[in-house]
Amino acid sequence: MNYNVAQKHIIHQRPGKTPNPMRLPELDAILADINRIILGKDRPIRLSLACLLARGHLLIEDLPGVGKTTLAHVLARVLGLDFQRIQFTSDMLPADIIGVSIFDRESGAFHFHPGPIFTQVVLADEINRATPKAQSALLEAMEERQVTAEGKTRALPEPFFVIATQNPTYQIGTFPLPESQLDRFLLKIELGYPDPAAERELLAGADRRQLVADLVPRITPQRLIELQNTVRAVHASPALIDYVQTLAAYTRAAPRWQEGLSPRACLALLAVARAWALLDGRDHVLPEDVQAVLQGVIAHRLRPTDDDARSHAEAVAAALIEAVPLP
Amino acid sequence: MLASLRRRLHEIFVRWALRVRPPEPAPIVLTQRRVYVLPTRAGLAYGAALGVMLLGAMNYNLSLGYALVFLLAGLGIVAILHTFRNLVLLSIRPGRCEPVFAGSVAQFGLLLESQRPDARTSLRLFFDEAVPIEVDIGPHACTATTLGVHAAKRGWLPMPRFTIETTWPLGLIRAWSYAVPELNCLVYPTPAAKAPPLPWSSDSARGSARDGRGADDFSGLRKHQVADAPRHVAWKAVARQQDGPLLTKLFSGAAAQQLWLDWAALPDTIDTEQRLSILARWILDADAAGLAWGLRLPAVRLAPDNGPAQRSAGLHALALYSHGAH
Amino acid sequence: MARTNRPVSRRQAWWLLATALAASLPLAPQVPLWLSLAAGAVFSWRAALTWRQWHLPPRWLLVLLVIAGTVGVFLQYRTTMGRTPGIALLVVFLSLKLLELRAARDAVATALLCYFLVLGQFLFTQTIPTALLACLTVLITTATLLAASDDRPQPLLQLRRAGLMLAQALPFMLLLFLLFPRVQGPLWGIPQDRISAVSGLSDTMSPGSIALLSQSDAIAFRVQFKGTVPPQSELYWRGPVMPSFDGRSWRVRQTLGAYTEVPYSGIGAAVDYEVTLEPHGKFWLFALELPATLPADSALTSDYQPIARQAVRNRMRYAQRAWPEAIAGINEASSILREALALPRDGNPRMRAIAAGWRAQHGDDGAAILATAETFFGQQLLIYTLNPPLLGADIVDEFLFDTKRGFCEHFAAAFVFALRAAGVPARVVAGYQGGEVNPVDGYLVVRQYDAHAWAEAWIAGRGWVRIDPTAISAPSRINSNLASAVPTEEGLPFLARSDLAWLREVRYRLDAVTNGWNQWVLGYNPQRQRDLLAGLGMNEPDWRSMTAVLSVLCGGVMLGLTVWILRNRLRVDPALAAWRRFTARLARRGIVWQPWEGPLAFAERAAGQAPRHAKSIVEIATLYARMRYGPAPQAGDLLQLKQKIAAFHP
Repeated sequence: MNYNVAQKHIIHQRPGKTPNPMRLPELDAILADINRIILGKDRPIRLSLACLLARGHLLIEDLPGVGKTTLAHVLARVLGLDFQRIQFTSDMLPADIIGVSIFDRESGAFHFHPGPIFTQVVLADEINRATPKAQSALLEAMEERQVTAEGKTRALPEPFFVIATQNPTYQIGTFPLPESQLDRFLLKIELGYPDPAAERELLAGADRRQLVADLVPRITPQRLIELQNTVRAVHASPALIDYVQTLAAYTRAAPRWQEGLSPRACLALLAVARAWALLDGRDHVLPEDVQAVLQGVIAHRLRPTDDDARSHAEAVAAALIEAVPLP
Repeated sequence: MLASLRRRLHEIFVRWALRVRPPEPAPIVLTQRRVYVLPTRAGLAYGAALGVMLLGAMNYNLSLGYALVFLLAGLGIVAILHTFRNLVLLSIRPGRCEPVFAGSVAQFGLLLESQRPDARTSLRLFFDEAVPIEVDIGPHACTATTLGVHAAKRGWLPMPRFTIETTWPLGLIRAWSYAVPELNCLVYPTPAAKAPPLPWSSDSARGSARDGRGADDFSGLRKHQVADAPRHVAWKAVARQQDGPLLTKLFSGAAAQQLWLDWAALPDTIDTEQRLSILARWILDADAAGLAWGLRLPAVRLAPDNGPAQRSAGLHALALYSHGAH
Repeated sequence: MARTNRPVSRRQAWWLLATALAASLPLAPQVPLWLSLAAGAVFSWRAALTWRQWHLPPRWLLVLLVIAGTVGVFLQYRTTMGRTPGIALLVVFLSLKLLELRAARDAVATALLCYFLVLGQFLFTQTIPTALLACLTVLITTATLLAASDDRPQPLLQLRRAGLMLAQALPFMLLLFLLFPRVQGPLWGIPQDRISAVSGLSDTMSPGSIALLSQSDAIAFRVQFKGTVPPQSELYWRGPVMPSFDGRSWRVRQTLGAYTEVPYSGIGAAVDYEVTLEPHGKFWLFALELPATLPADSALTSDYQPIARQAVRNRMRYAQRAWPEAIAGINEASSILREALALPRDGNPRMRAIAAGWRAQHGDDGAAILATAETFFGQQLLIYTLNPPLLGADIVDEFLFDTKRGFCEHFAAAFVFALRAAGVPARVVAGYQGGEVNPVDGYLVVRQYDAHAWAEAWIAGRGWVRIDPTAISAPSRINSNLASAVPTEEGLPFLARSDLAWLREVRYRLDAVTNGWNQWVLGYNPQRQRDLLAGLGMNEPDWRSMTAVLSVLCGGVMLGLTVWILRNRLRVDPALAAWRRFTARLARRGIVWQPWEGPLAFAERAAGQAPRHAKSIVEIATLYARMRYGPAPQAGDLLQLKQKIAAFHP
């Protein structure tokens, strides 16, 4: 099958060329800032921001050293959010993430010491290294946006955004996230190696850390919440909802995948597509938006039956897009 | 004699009716030209009853009798249209089809898609002579259904021709069509009921190494399994979480013992199918025990691993094993 | 076909029970009481079985019950053939079939039986209420048929679908009804129970027999005049002519039709009209005096009375022409004249004596005797009444000289007797006089209470002359109607009375509707069909051409219905339709829109392939994308899109 056409249009399309009244300059500025530091990764950056705007969490599956930490850091910086990094290890316990109550001798009572999760942007590094118990502590916090420790429920800060990374290769000694847990990530993306030009610029350019440190927040957390609400208001016409539904129906029945997209996955698809449309300055979702984010939404949700396809998430998404005509 | 003639005529009709050389490319759209309509037995009885009623109306000069007969005749015509419409322009796509073991029933998934703004009701799908499956399809909806057929032999089982018919709404008229979607079911060899024990290689005599993993370098933790040696339990990690499961320390090393399911290891007296059966049984046993295993066939070699992917890869190889590969 | 043999579900059983009840309930008055009760018992039994989900009775019991039912019907009617026994048997089978509902096939059979019973109702009555009731039954039965093959819990939905399907069947029904080649029945002998006890004139007339009819307001026939309606006093509807007298009763002659064309010629203006005759079970037809033409399949007796070849068992319609001033029978055969003079040897001596006096005075001058007789009757001061006293042996004498009270048959009988006794050939003519014009549809309605009898005398040189002795004593009977001629306290049929105007108005309207129904639905026969086709330009249509027309029209309706049924009821978004036109244009340039491609993505690709049109392509795509996927399309958008696409020529 020839996927070239599809890929070309998903990846290289720039629907934003036409002027749009909804265009929000602050979002453009944010994207420009991040693109200045992480070079040649316009698409993953855009997806990450869309994920954040859609109030979802991001899963990055990639090799170490391609800039995952930098991405998380830069996002937090530009958006004016707190940032914490948690390195997951096999001996990590839920308390290491959530926090512990320690007996305070002076007051004679237990005092809760919040864990690293109590921050606005969390980078959960190598999440599949930790035991399922530790993983589920994080994932439950992600889902509920609150933490229950020692019988007390504590709300997590708003906005709350988790970027988790996991190693792509199947290694002995890892605990792959179960599918039900994977579903809690709105998007799964890969950063990949930079292209040669970008890599050269990276090598020749200034120190990334310094650049990050020099960044100034473009918006306040309050404004970010407003933007998140704007995303929810982006219009999805009946024709578009039909399209999402047809896509899901196709995955549910076609033999290419082991299971189809769940209703939650459809909602995720619609949510990210809305954010993508907003990033493009539109107040309504187009099929192009859905197609652009489809790969990220289905990458960790659809398991192809054919082994060869596993390594070609792009090809799988393109095949799905081409199989389903617009309603 | 008569029955066989009828069957042959039916076969000729079906072949003419299908027109396309099966299997057909997806999606199969049941166009007007491939949907056939004939009265059912009830429909014939209905027609005969109308004839008798017409005679009665004529004989007694019953104007209302004429009107009734003509109304019912119109109803019959309308029923033709409704029945036809219930089936026509339905599109059929091949759906999913999970591999099965020979001797069980292969379930061919079908995806029935209706572009119509109102529902399609009581469509029956069946293979020749088999019990039909009844499905409804909502407006603009897509319904998945499966049709089972007995899988006798290992290998690829192409989906046989099936009939889709409907007598809705009045049961007087039957509209039907045939389709052969391009869908194949992988049939694994039947696992042997009696098989020799798993063929451990002769140098893996130590029972403690039977988990198929090494014992040299710590490489991680995983959930404790009954077969794990007690000395590999990660007591420290277990102690940290009060009610967690037992964890086993994993070690990797060159010395790890591996289970090879080898075609050649079986005595020559066993014929091909029997061998494949035994290998299938071994794969199931090894998989159930959570062991890592490798497979050696005359032309195929599968590196040791465990998990569902390994299991399906192994069975896949067995299913498609051919004599020519010797 | 094993698939149709799913067991009948509980819900389906309820449906079948309902339809069986709907089909057999209207027949309850027609079948014997024991059968009604038995069927009711079986229905209740079946309902209990369904309710309690008990097992159906064993087959041997059903066989026994069927035999018992059949024997019962046979014992009741002494036959199982014919209309009523047939219906009774159908009711037996239907109710017992309910006890044998095992498979879907039985359900279909039950539904078919119900359709049969609907037809059965029409054997007894075909009025508008019957038709409405039958519609309901057919609706329920069709819904049952639906439920038999598609067992779903929503009864209303089934009824609605059945209604929709029947509505779609209506055009076919209309076409077939109008154009299906009609055959005049019966195809085979009809058992004689077809018409039973219909009121009307009989072939004998004795004192009181017509007075009895005056109690009935049933319709005898309706008349539609081509021109103006002749005056009331001219409306003599000639019926059975009764020349033979046995001293008490007058009878029609036993011989049948003599002429196939009228044996006299017309003088003066003709009156054209059309009669719709209600079935009366006798052979005669009614015609305005004197008939100038004969309806099809009829003949004229030597008494100038039109008679049909078969007894009038169905409502029939015939066109007629009358010559009110015709002179008939100038050269009358002597045998007929002899018969018109015959009298019993004895009886009524007083009248005979007076008549002998006339004879002696005027000799053979029939006209003079007639005038004398009229004068004589006028002098007797006879009273016209609905309740004449009973008469003894000499009915003429007692009426004329003692009681002096009588109804038209007394007047006619006495007058004819007097003429005969005086040697003038005369006979009694029965029929109807007058009628009432329904102002709603203009039809003249003649009812049973318009029944009348008058006299006819043969005068040399003038032929047969009509004299109405009733008119001598009670001229208002002839000039207006019965009500004005009899005292108000006498029990007249409700409709014959002139008061209660509003009720009459209602009745007129109802009657007009009934008449329309009779004329156009029930009376739609081969003749009407020929007339209709002639009106449509098909003269002398044979069944082949009719079948051809019918097939063409039915095919047309079917095509229309097919289009209507198969049309995509989803209105295609006009923006999408415009977009398809646009992409079709680009496709001609080799720029093919993939069905999965978003509009803007496609626009970008197309703009790259056709840079000269890049601007308009992007404009169109942007507008389309906003219309199809945007929140609220603006009013002018569609027009703008269409204009842009119309102007787009790659």
